[in-house]
Amino acid sequence: MKPAPFDYHAPATIDEAVALLARLDGEGRDAKILAGGQSLMPMLALRVARPEILVDLRRLGTLDYIRDEAGTLAIGAMTSKQAAADSALVRRAQPLFQAATELVGHRQIRNRGSVGGSFAHADPASEYPAVALVLDTGFEAAGPDGSRTIAAADFFITYMTTALEPTEILTAVRFAPFPAGRRWAIEEFARRNGDLALAGVTVTFDVDAGLCRNVRIAAFGVQATALRLTAAEALLEGRPAQAAQFDAASKEAAAALDDPMSCIHASSAYRRHLVGVLTARALGQAAARPH
Amino acid sequence: MPNKQRVEVRVNGTRYVREVEPRLTLADFLRHELNLGGTHVGCEHGICGACTVLVDERSARACLTLAVQADGCGITTVEGLRDPSSGALHPIQQAFVDGHGLQCGFCTPGFMMTTLELLRCTPDPSEEQIKEALGGNLCRCTGYQSILDSVKLAAQRMKPSTPA
Amino acid sequence: MAIEIPTLPEQMPNDASRYVGKAVNRVEDPALVSGTVEFIDNFSLPGMLHCAILRSPHPHARILSVKVDAALAAEGVAAVLTGEDVGRWCNPCFTAPEGWGNYCLAVGKVRFVGEPVVAVAASSRYLAEDALELVDIEYELLPPVADAGQAMASGAPLVFEERGTNVMLDRTYTWGELERVFAEADRVVSRRFRWNRVGANPTETFGCVCRWDLADNSLVCHGAYQTPRFMAIGRAASLNLPVNRVRIVTHPQGGGFGGKGGPRGTDIAALLSRKSGGRPVKYIEDRMEYLLAGGGQSWDRHYDAALAVKADGTVTGFRVRLVDDQGAGAEGYGTISAAKPLAAFTGNYRIEAAGYELTLVATNRAPTYPYRGYGPPPHNLVLESLMDCTAREMGIDPAELRRRNYIRPEQFPYTVPSGNEYDSGDYHAVLDRVLQMADYDALRAFQAEARAAGRLVGIGVVNTVEPGVFDWNAYATVGVPGVGVPEGVKVAVDLFGGVTVAVGFSLQGQGQFTVASQVAADYFGIDIAQVRVATTPSDVAVPHFGQGGSRLGVAVTGAILGACEKLRAMFCTVAAHVMQAPEGGVELRNGCLRRIDAPEHSMSLAEIAGLMLSRSDLLPPGIEPCPEATYVWTAPNRNAPDDQGRCRSYLTAANATHVAVIEIDRDTGRSAILDYFIVDDCGTRLNPANVEGQLQGGVAQGVGAALYEEYVYDADCQPLVSTFVDYLMPTIHEVPMTKKDHIVTPSPVSPLGAKGCGEGAIHTTPATILCAINDALAPLGKELLETPASPHRVWKLLHEDGAAA
Ligand SMILES: Cc1cc2nc3c(=O)[nH]c(=O)nc-3n(C[C@H](O)[C@H](O)[C@H](O)COP(=O)(O)OP(=O)(O)OC[C@H]3O[C@@H](n4cnc5c(N)ncnc54)[C@H](O)[C@@H]3O)c2cc1C
Ligand code: FES
Ligand code: FES
Repeated sequence: MKPAPFDYHAPATIDEAVALLARLDGEGRDAKILAGGQSLMPMLALRVARPEILVDLRRLGTLDYIRDEAGTLAIGAMTSKQAAADSALVRRAQPLFQAATELVGHRQIRNRGSVGGSFAHADPASEYPAVALVLDTGFEAAGPDGSRTIAAADFFITYMTTALEPTEILTAVRFAPFPAGRRWAIEEFARRNGDLALAGVTVTFDVDAGLCRNVRIAAFGVQATALRLTAAEALLEGRPAQAAQFDAASKEAAAALDDPMSCIHASSAYRRHLVGVLTARALGQAAARPH
Repeated sequence: MPNKQRVEVRVNGTRYVREVEPRLTLADFLRHELNLGGTHVGCEHGICGACTVLVDERSARACLTLAVQADGCGITTVEGLRDPSSGALHPIQQAFVDGHGLQCGFCTPGFMMTTLELLRCTPDPSEEQIKEALGGNLCRCTGYQSILDSVKLAAQRMKPSTPA
Repeated sequence: MAIEIPTLPEQMPNDASRYVGKAVNRVEDPALVSGTVEFIDNFSLPGMLHCAILRSPHPHARILSVKVDAALAAEGVAAVLTGEDVGRWCNPCFTAPEGWGNYCLAVGKVRFVGEPVVAVAASSRYLAEDALELVDIEYELLPPVADAGQAMASGAPLVFEERGTNVMLDRTYTWGELERVFAEADRVVSRRFRWNRVGANPTETFGCVCRWDLADNSLVCHGAYQTPRFMAIGRAASLNLPVNRVRIVTHPQGGGFGGKGGPRGTDIAALLSRKSGGRPVKYIEDRMEYLLAGGGQSWDRHYDAALAVKADGTVTGFRVRLVDDQGAGAEGYGTISAAKPLAAFTGNYRIEAAGYELTLVATNRAPTYPYRGYGPPPHNLVLESLMDCTAREMGIDPAELRRRNYIRPEQFPYTVPSGNEYDSGDYHAVLDRVLQMADYDALRAFQAEARAAGRLVGIGVVNTVEPGVFDWNAYATVGVPGVGVPEGVKVAVDLFGGVTVAVGFSLQGQGQFTVASQVAADYFGIDIAQVRVATTPSDVAVPHFGQGGSRLGVAVTGAILGACEKLRAMFCTVAAHVMQAPEGGVELRNGCLRRIDAPEHSMSLAEIAGLMLSRSDLLPPGIEPCPEATYVWTAPNRNAPDDQGRCRSYLTAANATHVAVIEIDRDTGRSAILDYFIVDDCGTRLNPANVEGQLQGGVAQGVGAALYEEYVYDADCQPLVSTFVDYLMPTIHEVPMTKKDHIVTPSPVSPLGAKGCGEGAIHTTPATILCAINDALAPLGKELLETPASPHRVWKLLHEDGAAA
């Protein structure tokens, strides 16, 4: 179980990295970005990924930061997940993102795995894309034509595919301010503690005079990419934050799903059922969370 | 053939410089280039934790890291645990011996390196914190009970004595 | 002269044991925690090549052509091995019944996904894997035999065409008046069970370094070998070498559990060495190879079983029909695994008659191998689940039903219907102790309360007998004739009184080197640090077997004691001579040879050994200057089986009772273990920490088998599990931290009274968990009769008619 041969570059600046990617792309060579390697390395070892060239971002120290940009939390793509999980700023500014990060794998994985890598990898079972959908995360990418920002809703295309061009590097993620008092939760079901989830649900909503507002519900692990459960959101919007309503919304969440995935650990029907259960749990937990 | 890369690392305090193929994993680099065989390999795809080492003081799977990614880093492996001058076992090693925290011992270096990081960050861990920290390491022999006890023992022995 | 092996620690020549019976630190551990132990992948030889193996992607296909030219020309490649070479040079493995074994590389056709087809030796593993990509194989696909049902269907494709059938073995054992007890039963409780494939998965996979010396046509194999001598005989047979030209050097192993594999990889590496002009070749199986095709798949079983029960709850008969899917060939001693339950067929109970219909079939799944416990863990699950079903149907508490049927303490030694003799035990005492420890009444009250609140809480109370110290006679009726399993050691005392115990096996995790040191140190009254245990290569070692069948701790103890007894006799003779005492006038006590009539006159161990080695002039006639002795122990009083397989097979019968409390989450189907209690009796506990470690390790594997692990195949016989992402071994979060206690009924027949206990809880835990789950499901009128009880499986059961809604 050894990787096939590849060439290797570790550019020292973003400009250099972008230029390199553009050149390789122009030459028709299959280059792949390497961040923490926590998803890419197993694929290389199993030879299911066999790029000709790896472009390692490890020297781009400028992409390793967590900062408050006038109320917006910005995290550099090469920041480690453990750093994000440990950051007081992240915990304060984006408690849901912090909680989701703690659910990712184990500490050894979070120590090396980058924040950007999980978004760019877009594993359907990952917590990150779903959280990005409910938090309106913005993705900043640097490419040959400069920088652009991609909204979460446009970022995740399908199974392990994002809107990033092969010549683009994800440089940062930005989270819109998380209003005080907003309710949130993330619930997942995995076979073992630390495994990728068979299904997961994350929710945010505000409670205004007892009624749910700005309801966001997203699921992961169930389809080729994370998705918003808009039918359930609509059902709950403007309704009392109460168990009966949560129940109805979670039934709708399950029912409205299009053909969930099937694997040896969970059939499509079971996944659908789990989404209902997890939605109910997440809504209940969010409502009960002291704030 | 792909361009070989220069890798300079400091492992357990000793500096090594090698030219390696980019695809060489850190696990293979430590084991077969540097002959530090104490870091074991149980799956090579990131699940078992047997290959855990510290890279710049932070735990990492050596099978999910390329040797070139460790260029310029300081690495600690199980071979670096014993006291270099006296040869005495590190308190974590001694606790695993006293607590019968191993059977075949193949997973043990990974557990001890994970424990080293845990006890540096959390000197007085709760049982839950220990389990959380060790959740990414598989042991097929012990059923974990004696490992849990060994880590508790290590924590207790390593606790900085509180001034009276 | 007959040698008496002490059957109690007190019979050793000391006033008190310093080590035996104590949880002394293991002598193995300082090196293991230092990372300096020479596991096989840490070993290399000059000029060594590295092997990589190309494996079949198809479950069943004819090989039309194999093109290896490009691979042979690739960078670093020294040799390429194909089925053609193998067909010319080798024989199929000899651990399968005649005609049901595979060659180490496929010859003519492939029979399972992962079967080796071509192997390459190159200067690095990386380059060897690169070269495999250049091999071109043309296959003609054949319809696969995907499961046991298909295998037995008429007109099914044949896995081994020459055999004309997929049924490898079909035989029925009847013990006692089976028909009568079933006819006279007041109640017959029958169920079908499905145990899906699981396997050993030691953390270290198999590995070896082989060197074929072309000059004198001999082979040296270093590797992670569990049974070195047996491995040597097997290599000689498959590679057409004289046995005395094969040397197996066993290295410490990162676990084994029976499922280490080895023969295939060794033969391939050996042949590559032969083909590359005698250069050493290393083969390290990777995890994917192990999961697809290594020694790691076991117990693919379909059961149809019944109990005959009287109105008062007395169980009088037990009938089992087993269809065992052996996969593509029985190379992993599959016949043996299905036969082992004979050693404790009826568990802890006085069941008077039993019957076993055994059908072993070949399919295009991977061949199956031994796994810790061998055959009984699924068998115990069947028996114990039926006991629970009976208890439920009759409204009797499951613990009470068991108690009523136990073999009583005064009935030992007790011969079970299937022929084996249990040496000793007190099952009532074990049950009482565990129920008390668990506060069983309180648990049932808690359960009643939880049930009233709509929760699915269940309690499992399960007992099993662990047959210990295996003997070949157990397997004579399924194709492995023989009585007696030798385990030999050499004990040598040096000039300074140090003691070296040379054994034929290496470290695997069970702590046998420590046990050996404890026994030798206590026998000679020396410090444990003065004992060294060393592994000898197979060709020069005293006859031995090694780990397997819960026997090594007992067997090596017996062998050391036997050698020590020989040394004692020799030392006493020498000492009497030099101390001018009458014959028989010297005894060994606390490490000193002293005159019985004048104990102040004594010689130390060092003095006597030093004298023997350096003063031949002082030795009595007939004594060689050799303070060493060998002894080969084998279980006493074994016999050949009768036509129904009945014999005294396993020497000891340890037993345990487990209590598990489980809650099922109705919403997700997940089972959580809330509490877990164990009381066991394995006789004298030579090193209690070792025993507890074995027990807890067995619990973890039992939890895996009962709840998490499964080798899944699809309808086309493609394996769907090839990484640890899908083969789910329990982590620290999934294994219960058990509460343990024990009682001690020393074995009257084994060295120091110890009973084999290395397999431990894997015999008991799967059954305990499944019984607890079914107890939880009882109010819903549902039963789960398939393992593992994965959340998905439980959920399907709960929801098949809206029961949990
Ligand atoms: C045992 C284990 C358990 C895990 N459990 C979880 C879990 O529970 N939840 C979860 O979400 N993940 C889990 N993961 C995956 C882990 O979180 C990875 O760290 C993450 O998916 C990828 O981050 P990375 O930095 O390691 O990226 P890499 O592996 O280096 O790269 C992943 C992919 O993203 C691309 N990429 C990376 N960075 C960039 C960038 N800046 N710009 C453009 N493209 C980029 C790469 O080209 C590659 O295709 C687990 C992994 C392991 C080994
Ligand atoms: S070998 Fe690295 S995690 Fe298993
Ligand atoms: S001690 Fe053997 S795997 Fe942990």
